[in-house]
Amino acid sequence: MIKNYIKTAFRSLYKNKGFTTINILGLALGLLSCLSIVLYVVDELSFDKYNVNHDRIFRVNEDLKLGDNKVDYAVAMPPLAKTMKAEYPYVLEATRIKTAGTTHVKKGDLIVVENHIAFADASIFSVFTLPMISGDPKTALKDPNTVVLTETTARKYFNTTEAVGKTIVFNDNQNFKVTGVIKDIPKQSHFNFDFFVSLESFPDSRSNEWLRSDYNTYVLLKDKDYAKQLEASFPAFLQKFSGAQMQSELHMSYDQFEKSGSYFRMNLTPLDDIHLKSARTGELGPNSTVQYVYIFSAIAIFILLIACVNFMNLSTARSANRAREVGVRKVLGSSRQHLIFQFLAESVMVTLFATVIALFSAIALLPLFNQLAGKEIVLTVQMFTWIIPVLFAIVLIVGALAGSYPAFFLSAFQPIAVLKGKLSTGFKSSFLRNFLVVFQFGVSILLIIGTLVIYNQLNFIQTKNLGYNRSQVLVVQNAYELGNQASIFKQELTELPGVKATTMTGFLPTSGWKNTRIFFKDASLNQKQSMFPQTWDVDADWIPTLDMKMAQGRNFDKNIATDSSAVIINEAAAKFLGFNDKAIDKELYQSLGGKTELANTKLYHVVGVVKDFHFNSLREKIEPVVLKLGQNNGALSIRVSATNLPALMSQIKAKWSSLSPSLQINYSFMDQDFDTIYKSEQRVGEIFVVFTTLAIVIACLGLFGLAAYAAEQRTKEIGIRKVLGADVTSIVSMLSKDFVKLVVIALVISAPLAWYLMNKWLQDFAYRIQIQWWVVAAAGAGAILIAVITNSFQSIKAALANPVNSLKDQ
Amino acid sequence: MIKITNLEKFYRTEEVETIALNKLSMHVDTGEFVAIMGPSGCGKSTLLNILGMLDDPDEGSYVFNDIEVAHFNERKRADLRKHNIGFVFQSFNLIDELTVFENVELPLIYTGVSASERVKRVEEVLDKMQIMHRRNHYPQQLSGGQQQRVAIARAVVNKPKLILADEPTGNLDSSNGNDVMELLTDLNEQGTTIIMVTHSEHDARYSHRIIRLLDGQTVMENIMV
Repeated sequence: MIKNYIKTAFRSLYKNKGFTTINILGLALGLLSCLSIVLYVVDELSFDKYNVNHDRIFRVNEDLKLGDNKVDYAVAMPPLAKTMKAEYPYVLEATRIKTAGTTHVKKGDLIVVENHIAFADASIFSVFTLPMISGDPKTALKDPNTVVLTETTARKYFNTTEAVGKTIVFNDNQNFKVTGVIKDIPKQSHFNFDFFVSLESFPDSRSNEWLRSDYNTYVLLKDKDYAKQLEASFPAFLQKFSGAQMQSELHMSYDQFEKSGSYFRMNLTPLDDIHLKSARTGELGPNSTVQYVYIFSAIAIFILLIACVNFMNLSTARSANRAREVGVRKVLGSSRQHLIFQFLAESVMVTLFATVIALFSAIALLPLFNQLAGKEIVLTVQMFTWIIPVLFAIVLIVGALAGSYPAFFLSAFQPIAVLKGKLSTGFKSSFLRNFLVVFQFGVSILLIIGTLVIYNQLNFIQTKNLGYNRSQVLVVQNAYELGNQASIFKQELTELPGVKATTMTGFLPTSGWKNTRIFFKDASLNQKQSMFPQTWDVDADWIPTLDMKMAQGRNFDKNIATDSSAVIINEAAAKFLGFNDKAIDKELYQSLGGKTELANTKLYHVVGVVKDFHFNSLREKIEPVVLKLGQNNGALSIRVSATNLPALMSQIKAKWSSLSPSLQINYSFMDQDFDTIYKSEQRVGEIFVVFTTLAIVIACLGLFGLAAYAAEQRTKEIGIRKVLGADVTSIVSMLSKDFVKLVVIALVISAPLAWYLMNKWLQDFAYRIQIQWWVVAAAGAGAILIAVITNSFQSIKAALANPVNSLKDQ
Repeated sequence: MIKITNLEKFYRTEEVETIALNKLSMHVDTGEFVAIMGPSGCGKSTLLNILGMLDDPDEGSYVFNDIEVAHFNERKRADLRKHNIGFVFQSFNLIDELTVFENVELPLIYTGVSASERVKRVEEVLDKMQIMHRRNHYPQQLSGGQQQRVAIARAVVNKPKLILADEPTGNLDSSNGNDVMELLTDLNEQGTTIIMVTHSEHDARYSHRIIRLLDGQTVMENIMV
């Protein structure tokens, strides 16, 4: 019997090649999208799961509020780790990581710039699962001047993973002994380092200061259920250990501090949540957001549903053609169950074909998808142990889902009715089919609007006046490597024709350099009137080079001696301090650390207010900024003229080489740096476009098939109408009207929903667009246009057919 | 074999009620060959559908082989049908996706006959119908006469006691039509009861008895000699 089902199914599919192609293609596209997104989501969800104890590892964070300043840190106090381990019996292990920034590493005569270097406690290997290939994980980072390398790094410097005992030289003169080589850290890790240097080498690590936070601190608990208990004990813990320092430095007790409206708290982030749910200050690397996991999962389900709907629609639309077969089978003694099984076998077979195609194309397109999504997903044999069963389940579920309606619908036919040809009204009467078409187009319109809004917002970001001019600015990122010669380099470049201005500092709106200091508004040093602004050391050329505008006062002037104690603040700072438009000559006291008293502060006076400029992502509001005249050779920014840039570039490179023959110049353009800030949004935008296009293509395939059957069903009607004098246009419009009506209904339903959802997304941006009415209009018009074009292929064909043929048919 | 008494069947649309069968009574004995004739709309097809248990009557009694089947549910009717009745249609109603062999095999599959037995019986009947050489062809590749012979083969492969034929020659030329009538006569002579609806007086002459219907009632019965 099964054989007969499969045989009939196969022949029927073969006979209706067009229909089968549309069905398989649509489903395969749907499954392909779904599969790709599943890989993406699984990858996102698998972050840090490589750690055997991932569910028992927590990061300890600090939340600080001082007056109106509030910062949530991903880092904690230097002595916290060892204190927690000593204090809590259920804290089995505690470890700290601290990024080391850019470091020069010697490789023979070459100097390599390394960015992925971290300091770590010896206990790091007891908390995280970082398998050691050679060396002893228990002792590897116990001593000062020891370093553990990853496999790849060991090969890079020593051409072997047997590097233990060898010496590596940092910053020209610091010798470190390699005491271990670990396997490369999986890509699915919230931190990624090539070197772990023992924290013992770093004197600050022994600091006993409880009022500052700069170490990423992780604890391994005996059981994850202790986390609640641990968090509950934090206030008492803090009071016990930081109370004394607070009293001596801030002149207040922990309670008084809290009463004054400020706070100083600790909390835990489970390791499993860091990648998707944590966006604190001092993260070890950029994290993702769980929002996108939700959005993409929803898209995957939508696309799969659209593909299933196609299947159901096309199969039932075809029902009239298969009705006779059903009738004959029933007359010959087939029961309803037999027929249901037969149709289900057919749809499971189609799904199976589609799944096989989807699987192979997903594998083939994975590199492309990785590029699109910015991922490095690799399919491993291990992954197939879940992919295959999942696909099998999908085949059965989707096959049954897509096939169930046609199966039950077709098998319920009354044999005499169909054998007498009384079933030609089958097409028009299906409410369910109309509902499904509305659903498909509703989802498509939703996706179109989503894409348009995301693109508009991205475009808004790209073209927004940022308060500075990022085009034609060349940034030499490693200017600091010139050391004392950096200023000579700056001077020499300034003299080049084509160079308009230069400024030397690492603090740039696009650099991501942050430096926060505490300022008080007056000599009372009232911490309620304190401010936590970004405090940047710049030179007098900074504002002109970046093409910023002054709102009040003037720029720094090298020739005015008192400018060494001058500051320029931004409008946000002026507003925060209540200076508003009378900021000039106001005083600011910068805290130099230690006790809060006048002796520990430095007095500045405001000489200008620069117009607000964006330096964070546009998701965030502009923070207060204080600019001081200072020495910082972090980077050299050069405003160049657009004419003959290549020639100018080679002149700049030549100047660099003359000053530093052994070092490579490392430069970028400021507008590129800017774009990298929005890379994740850009990515999401692109992924959206790809999957929206796919969704629309799938929906169109379905509509194309439906239109074909609608026209076929009405062949006789069209024939009669033509005999009676109808022209092609009127017939095409008659056939299109039905579908257009459905698309309009879909628009009415999905437009408000899309509006609501996209507004929610936009709330994440401090600076955002309003959704324009034309976006909805364009999406609607687009969907209708697509529907009409798809439909007219079929209806024009039907309308052009010779009526004699269709009438003779009966 | 068949005894129907006061059979009634109505068709209702929203406003009109049409009487298709009006207190119709008749009987058919085992081994008979009965032709049913009458103008369009007289209820011939309705009667045939009820006799074939494809449809149920609204009123009256239908006794098939001493079993009252008038109010059987669909499943019971289907069961009785597949073991006892074969159908031959004017438009053949072969399944296009199946070969000649597979079309004929289908009723045997539904009655659960084993595969080896099926091959034997299908070959036997195809041989008898002289279309063995066409066994692997698809219906579209056959002439009308050949298609109807396949349909008859399919109707008899299960050795039904009753064959219901609905204008079996309606789509055939006269020579092919005659062949089909000869086939039916042969089957009848071997003991199969046949009830045939026809418009053709020529075809009707092959039968033992003609029942003429008008407006859902028997108006005349001719016994053929």
